[in-house]
Amino acid sequence: MADAEGLRALRDQVAITGIGYAPFTKNSGRTPLSLALEAILAAARDAGLPVDGLDGIATHHVNDSAPVHEVAAALGLRDVPWYHEEFGGGSRAPAVIAQAALAVAAGASRHAVVYRALNGRSGVRMGASGGGRSVPGAELQYQQPYGLLAPSQSYAMGARMHIERYGTTSEQLGAVALQQRANAAKNERALMRTPLTMADYLSSRMIADPFRLLDCCLETDGACAVVLTSRARAAGLAQPVVTVRGWASVLGPDDLSKPGGDLTRSSAALVAPRLYSMAGIGPAEVDVAELYDAFSFSVLVQLEDFGFCAKGEGGPFAASGALAADGALPVNTHGGFLSEGYVHGLNHVAEAVSQLRRQAGDRQVDRAEVALCTAQPGYLTGTTSALMLARQS
Amino acid sequence: MSDILAPRADVDSAPFWAAVREHRLTLQRCDECGRYRFPARPICPDCRSWKFTWPEVSGRGRVLSWVVTHHVTHPAFARQLPYEVLFVELAEQPGLAMYGNLRPAGAPVTSGMPVRAVFEDLTDAVTLVQWAPA
Repeated sequence: MADAEGLRALRDQVAITGIGYAPFTKNSGRTPLSLALEAILAAARDAGLPVDGLDGIATHHVNDSAPVHEVAAALGLRDVPWYHEEFGGGSRAPAVIAQAALAVAAGASRHAVVYRALNGRSGVRMGASGGGRSVPGAELQYQQPYGLLAPSQSYAMGARMHIERYGTTSEQLGAVALQQRANAAKNERALMRTPLTMADYLSSRMIADPFRLLDCCLETDGACAVVLTSRARAAGLAQPVVTVRGWASVLGPDDLSKPGGDLTRSSAALVAPRLYSMAGIGPAEVDVAELYDAFSFSVLVQLEDFGFCAKGEGGPFAASGALAADGALPVNTHGGFLSEGYVHGLNHVAEAVSQLRRQAGDRQVDRAEVALCTAQPGYLTGTTSALMLARQS
Repeated sequence: MSDILAPRADVDSAPFWAAVREHRLTLQRCDECGRYRFPARPICPDCRSWKFTWPEVSGRGRVLSWVVTHHVTHPAFARQLPYEVLFVELAEQPGLAMYGNLRPAGAPVTSGMPVRAVFEDLTDAVTLVQWAPA
């Protein structure tokens, strides 16, 4: 078990000082390297930091992106003392930021940039089997022969179990999709901004029953980057200071090999108590939640697993209107992966920073002081991570 | 039938697939603590023993959950749409679960439904475990 006292000593010691994007599109016509560089340059500019001030670089990818050494070379950074690169998609963005925060807190890097860049639509697609791409892992030989190939299918099994056990409805799943589309309408970066009706949702074609098309996230080309700096140095940079109040990660149990078979409880349930312990606050203190939404159901299950409602009540909670920008718990204020774009999580973090800086324009949440940003893996009980961010005013 | 994704066995799992080829469902069972495990792994996740055998199991189970796929995720399955994948808990041990397709495809499926293993020879070299209502 992690050293809780050691982690608490790092609470709020590192800030996110810059955020940047490359545009979200369906066909960038560019390399992931080009997208990464645009997002990193934008993040440094946003922080008020010269590019030569970056002395740490980190990313995560699934063999679909530009590695850290290519990015460093392209930026003309010739002596980068800290770097980190790990294999993984949706589960990793908060975890990589946590690694960067540890590096900054320890003094291994003064200003570390974390990026995620991919051609998620025009290049390697997560929603399919990857076109013959070899994926490591002992379990796939028991899944692929049955046509169990995409995260949509494994999450659909979780949703089916939730429906059977708790009476969750299609309309409750649809409430998530509708709310996020309404949020995206106020976000100029979002790919999907046309408002949805419940009839639109219910008539969208079935993908992996019980998931319809509009339960599934977009596939997106694009990039996002954030810069981390010590809290002390952050005060001298360009933006209102937003700190990393806490983080937590977990290598979750594999979906087949551990007892239980309960697909209604995600690995977020393992992350939540550790995150709240480090942050020293709980769900009641969260003003805005950017919840990893590869699927509508991912939001429902995390509302439960992070303690915003009881197990089984995620559907009614979402359908109550609580997730609206002026609701009890604004969720995915940018439109999320369902409507803004899907770059595997970092855009949730950047949106949370914008909210806490009070720079979110028409979609700004009132009195945003604390934000939760989460990850979800390719199947419900896999590896995951989360961050708590706080405004320091 | 050429439209298949054949299982890629490794050294740990080869005995499982070899037995399935003979229409027998065998699972690793720890010689030290007696617990079954699936998928095949070199050591027991409960007691970390390296000692195990491959007893034949009952092939009886119940449906924990399922998904009906309507969208092509791989060309090999395009002609099977829509198809069901079941998540089945085996009778031998709580939480001991595996996937498989519903046979016959399109049969009614409900949560908790009892199922039994059936063996499907896809080619001269490839056999899969599938599940039928018990």
